[in-house]
Amino acid sequence: MAALCKVVRSVSRRGYVGVFARRPDAFCKTLYSTTDSGESAGESEKEVASSAAEKPKTGFAAAFDLHSDLKQKQDQTTGEVRPSAAKEKKSFAYMLRHSPLMQMGPAKDKIAVGKIFHIVGDDLYIDFGAKFHCVCKRPSVDGEKYQRGSRVRLRLVDLELSSRFLGANTDTTLLEADAVLLGLIESRDAQPKV
Amino acid sequence: MVTTSKVAMNYISQLCCCLIKVEEKESGMAAGHLTKVLFSVKHSGLQSRLFGTAAVAQTDQVENDSTALGNKILTQPLNHPDYFRLSELFSLKDLFEARVHLGHKRGCRHRLMEPYLFGCRLEQDIIDLDQTVEHLQQALNFTAHVAYRGGVILFISRRRQFCHLVEKMAQECGEYAHTRYWQGGLLTNAPVLYGPGVRLPDLIVFISTLNNVFQQHVAIQDAAKMNIPTVGVVDSNCNPSLITYPIPGNDDTPSSVELYCKLFKMTINRAKDKRRQMDLLQSLATPNL
Repeated sequence: MAALCKVVRSVSRRGYVGVFARRPDAFCKTLYSTTDSGESAGESEKEVASSAAEKPKTGFAAAFDLHSDLKQKQDQTTGEVRPSAAKEKKSFAYMLRHSPLMQMGPAKDKIAVGKIFHIVGDDLYIDFGAKFHCVCKRPSVDGEKYQRGSRVRLRLVDLELSSRFLGANTDTTLLEADAVLLGLIESRDAQPKV
Repeated sequence: MVTTSKVAMNYISQLCCCLIKVEEKESGMAAGHLTKVLFSVKHSGLQSRLFGTAAVAQTDQVENDSTALGNKILTQPLNHPDYFRLSELFSLKDLFEARVHLGHKRGCRHRLMEPYLFGCRLEQDIIDLDQTVEHLQQALNFTAHVAYRGGVILFISRRRQFCHLVEKMAQECGEYAHTRYWQGGLLTNAPVLYGPGVRLPDLIVFISTLNNVFQQHVAIQDAAKMNIPTVGVVDSNCNPSLITYPIPGNDDTPSSVELYCKLFKMTINRAKDKRRQMDLLQSLATPNL
């Protein structure tokens, strides 16, 4: 389920409109990391379940990756056992460093893809791959299309709504994230990705 | 002190010694545990909860024959560090994908959880999954041993979002769950609330250690008072000190709670199946006349 949530870097920064025009499987396979590790400049587009690549691979490198993935799948189906790079045990620090949450940076104004998992009247409970879900009001445009399982686009505001109130020892938390609903991505009938 | 027959006493003390060996690492409450087990006795033959009644005298003869062989069933698993092979049930990658490493914001952090944290990224605490793997392994191992010995396991969670999931899981593994409002003396005043001779749980598993107002669940301190070992998932805003086997991890995301439920269910079922297998082998090896 977490694989469905992708985070696409805000388009307005660099004007990379072309990214939406690409084919869906290329969209999934390639993984972009931030060019500057500290700043949020540059485009980043991630998928939770796929393996990490530091730079966008083009040409022979991309073709080689694609071919080795296909070969691995073929080997697995034929039952051949051979050590492959994907089966190496990655440390927690490595997985964390290359996880979408870390690569994303601050959550403010990031575009994410979420999935509606619960509906109460006009409130949509949307899970986008973080610790908490967010709750958004059903929009007036295309209201009936927002059903359980629909994938939506969100602009994140905060990953956890918590604040220290006067006289308290610890923060009071709402156990919710905060996001603005931008729109639907596709209908509920689309096949789910692994 | 409850008066019981000599043989039954022998059986109980051996049972206690085995249990104490398992628990003594974390809590030195040997004497208290002995008292608790004497208070609520379970015979292998009869399923009734009783002490000091006529039925005890009848089962003495059966106990005498089976004690020597029954011992082997109980002591053999204790010689292995991972008798039920629970390390193959989960991997670090599974925990990572279930978002177990995500903690609350820095302001919500409990001071005693700091040793279990990997770090803090943009105000969000990250729990160290390397430590979580070890703690989870120990907790599941203990749960399995308790289930192997026919112990009563109680699952507690006050999160309304997961109450149905926890109850369903408890039902599927044949154990108990309490996901509603916790009345004051449920453990400490059990004979008054439930009637005399009630058997208390042998293990309490907390899927979430906090109640709905972000305070520690009353059952944690009550279990410590009644010398009942506890296993609990502690998030970065929880207090891990009174819990016997804490599991530092996320308790707010559905994916991580589903993972814990799945792991506990598989552990308990595995342990019970193993016990049934061992009993069957024993009954085949020594046919009763």
